[in-house]
Amino acid sequence: MEKYRCSLCGYIYNPSDGDPDNGVQPGTSFADVPADWTCPLCGAAKDQFVVQQ
Amino acid sequence: MKLIKNNVYFCGVQDPHRRLFDELIPLPDGTTYNSYLVKGSEKTALIDTSYSTKVVEFLECLEGESKIDCIIANHGEGDHTDALKFVLEKYPKALIYCTQKCCDILVDAHEIPLEKFHVIADGEKLSLGDKTLQFTIAPWVHWPDTMFTYVEEDKILFTCDFLGAHSIVNEVFVTPSEEYLQGARRYYGEIMMPFRTQCKNYIQKIEALKPEIICPSHGGVYDKPEFILEAYKEWTGDIPKNKVVIPYVSMYGNTEKAIVYLEEKLTKLGVKVDKFDLVKDDAGEYVCSLVDAATIIFAAPMVLAGPHPAAMSGLILTNALRPNIKFMGTINSFGWGGDFMGKVKANLNLQVEMFDPIAFKGKAKAKDKEQIEALAELIAQKHKEIGARN
Repeated sequence: MEKYRCSLCGYIYNPSDGDPDNGVQPGTSFADVPADWTCPLCGAAKDQFVVQQ
Repeated sequence: MKLIKNNVYFCGVQDPHRRLFDELIPLPDGTTYNSYLVKGSEKTALIDTSYSTKVVEFLECLEGESKIDCIIANHGEGDHTDALKFVLEKYPKALIYCTQKCCDILVDAHEIPLEKFHVIADGEKLSLGDKTLQFTIAPWVHWPDTMFTYVEEDKILFTCDFLGAHSIVNEVFVTPSEEYLQGARRYYGEIMMPFRTQCKNYIQKIEALKPEIICPSHGGVYDKPEFILEAYKEWTGDIPKNKVVIPYVSMYGNTEKAIVYLEEKLTKLGVKVDKFDLVKDDAGEYVCSLVDAATIIFAAPMVLAGPHPAAMSGLILTNALRPNIKFMGTINSFGWGGDFMGKVKANLNLQVEMFDPIAFKGKAKAKDKEQIEALAELIAQKHKEIGARN
């Protein structure tokens, strides 16, 4: 599963870690993260994330 | 203390002499730190407290209050929580109601013991007897810890920083006016604009809730909520105005002359222009203007082998505020070289269409002026294409 990077602040979403503090369990692919999830560091919306090369 | 409605009181403190917020934003009108007391038949709740410089004055406001059972912390920032410890000293049985994230922030910042907290769940209700408080977790207006509190029986919504303004309203209730709106817009630009998406979402939710009164943590209280809600709908809208903002720095006047020329050409084409000297002018006015602008033209000279530091600082600020601009360009005066546009692009996260850069050695000459005129025409055309509002 691909990692995604917040284009605004650089936070990396790693699917194997998820974001449990905000209700996203480890092992959740970025596509499966809820549409209203926001970057935990800067509040950016999902559409501001890009694939981390 | 002033009665808002039916045993709900305003006990905020004015700070007319404060000149700067976050060591960044000028406060031409000072500010306030609003706190509210909700007296139910069985329990009394205090909503938000005050800033470190106003602790004594704030506690004096609460002098006559024999009991406070709950302290609602809608947000953990110091201007609303510095007085928390002192309130707890005075009312040792009080519990703090807040989000988990707010609790983490307060434990860290003020070292308040964990047992003083009741962490709320989204939608949780707290009964004060004949009044019920309902908590809604509402992150990112403007920190991850924010929440709103609603007194159901009286239809009063406490939004903390959201919908606030750095303005002092002696009568507490806001009289709708253009002047007040400017202050609220400036405030929105300064801290809420990066979270436009969340703001839009919360405005919809608040409109569905239909509160009678909205009580923010800075500025006045809205007993005509549609005044501020309509304004936020406009500011968070997708289509910007037919306006160019030109933040600039000029050391010897060459950059300034170039942007004044651009301003002339744009004005002739019916495009509104606001220019701001990044060294001398009020950063808040710049930000206020950014709220509904469609285009930014960054203009600065090179100095010390790079773009002028004030221009880079302005760029960092602009970037962090995530305005709804669609187009960007640069005008640069150089002495012997340097890559102004390259540095701008490297520090830019915004999704904008970049115009070709304009750079000239020393002062803008005839061919540079032609380029500037062409840029003005391009801007006017692009604004028309996106349906920019007049």
